[in-house]
Amino acid sequence: MAAATRFEQMFLTGAGRIKDGAVLFVGFHWPMLMSRIARRLHAPNIVVVYENGIVEDRLTSVLPTSPCDLASAEQATTCAGSLEALYMWLGSGRVQMTLVEAAIVDRYGNVNTTAVGPYLQPKVRLPGSGGGTELSSLGRDLMLVSASVNKRSYPASVDYITSPGYLSGAQERNRLGYKPGTGPKTLVNPLGIFKFDENGEMYAAGLHAGVTPDEARATFGWPIKVQSNHEVLPAPNEDELKVIRQELAHAKERYYLLPEG
Amino acid sequence: VSTGEKPVLSLRDAVRRYVPDGQELLIGGFAFSDPTALAHELIRQKRKGLYIMKTSGGVLVDQLVGAGCADRLLSCHVWNSVGPVPAHCFRRALEQRKPHAIEIEELSYGAFTMSLLAGACDLPFMPTTPVQGTGHFTQRTFLPNKFAVVDNPFGGGAVCVVPPLKPALGVFHVQRVDKFGNAQMFGPTGEMRYAMAACKKLIVIAEEMVDTKVIRERPEATVAPGFMVDAVVVEPWAAHPTDSYGYYYRDLPHNALYGEMSRTEEGFQRYVDEWIIGTGNHAGFMAKLGSERAAELRIRKEGW
Repeated sequence: MAAATRFEQMFLTGAGRIKDGAVLFVGFHWPMLMSRIARRLHAPNIVVVYENGIVEDRLTSVLPTSPCDLASAEQATTCAGSLEALYMWLGSGRVQMTLVEAAIVDRYGNVNTTAVGPYLQPKVRLPGSGGGTELSSLGRDLMLVSASVNKRSYPASVDYITSPGYLSGAQERNRLGYKPGTGPKTLVNPLGIFKFDENGEMYAAGLHAGVTPDEARATFGWPIKVQSNHEVLPAPNEDELKVIRQELAHAKERYYLLPEG
Repeated sequence: VSTGEKPVLSLRDAVRRYVPDGQELLIGGFAFSDPTALAHELIRQKRKGLYIMKTSGGVLVDQLVGAGCADRLLSCHVWNSVGPVPAHCFRRALEQRKPHAIEIEELSYGAFTMSLLAGACDLPFMPTTPVQGTGHFTQRTFLPNKFAVVDNPFGGGAVCVVPPLKPALGVFHVQRVDKFGNAQMFGPTGEMRYAMAACKKLIVIAEEMVDTKVIRERPEATVAPGFMVDAVVVEPWAAHPTDSYGYYYRDLPHNALYGEMSRTEEGFQRYVDEWIIGTGNHAGFMAKLGSERAAELRIRKEGW
């Protein structure tokens, strides 16, 4: 079997942080595939909730194209609504881990999924928030997921904060009344895993085998700190890689666009 | 508020009677139960200047924007979630002002839900999750009062609040309805219960009309009691290409086809000509889609 690509490795690294039996809030796109892979690898008992009010506690027969593809509601134990999902489950602290995709993310974990360039005359217009703002505002153990290794995805500061990270630093988030314990804890991408220091600034905590600190530094739009003696994250073993590849092939059948190569 | 039997209109007549140019209109659905058939009818009748409110915009809003029907949009997300691929018309409108400029105002989904809940309950405001410091808190276009921060009167600091949203007209897709307007939804309901109650006038587009005794078998599924409903439309497959829980699945190939065709203005126009104008009405649209495709998407079997 060919060695894992870094994109494939990202799924193992992210899924590895998901604890069996946990209640997860899972956002749109790659986080959905990541939690599905975790369910298949080591966490069959996770309970996944979506913003529309669906509770998914088992492997669905097909990968939903989004939380609102009601393939996600197949044999669901609960179909409620957004007030339940975003406030009664997430806001109340009943959700233990939150996964959200971060198309563009800055030094303090602020995510932009709205607009690049001036808001009223954007260079690139993106979808907007959906529930992403609430996931970042309220989510405990918040993990950001980005499949990009393009420097444009990691500016020093984003043009528009769709989902609040530590804003201009952890103190600002506290001052504005965000609940303690919220705010991004990790970011996973094809390079490895990133964490946030006490000031809310992102640093490289673990890199995938073969990724050098210089390569990591070159990917970010600010001089990112790489933890000395950072962890070297293991490549997937053959069984893990098989599951990841099955799920990526399945995602493709379900009209997901996979990165080239 | 009215009781008794409700007018049952064709989609064409409902649009003629209730949606003039410039109408303020909240459209239901959250990437499932999106009444796409309504958007098609608005395009066929060449509506202009609409103020569209929709939590998850999706292909439906993309089509209204591409066809030049909407001038204003209040939304939390507009994208084609299959792929996912961009909502190309939405992008062209905001990046290049094609076919014309639109004004956009944004709320996050949680804030949108709370604003509708305040409207539904006729309360002066609702507290929401902290959003201070985010783009949609600071960036305000035509709703300068979409957020405020107040002191918690019970102690504990600042609270972000949203005002009541009371759309002049709401049109929602539901699974079934009776002649009195009792409307039922199955599966997840997103913000729909509050959104329906927030609207000053309410039209439901149902997959089927059923006898009231069928409604009585599942009273907990009624999302709008008849007295809240002004008019009823019965239009099977009205939510295609999104899902209707218990009735049909999301049509992935059709979403992909739309995503591909709408990449260019010319391609989008071809989609409008072939699938919207050329089909005449929603039954015509479904005939073009074909019974084989419909059979593949159908979940509902006899004896639901």
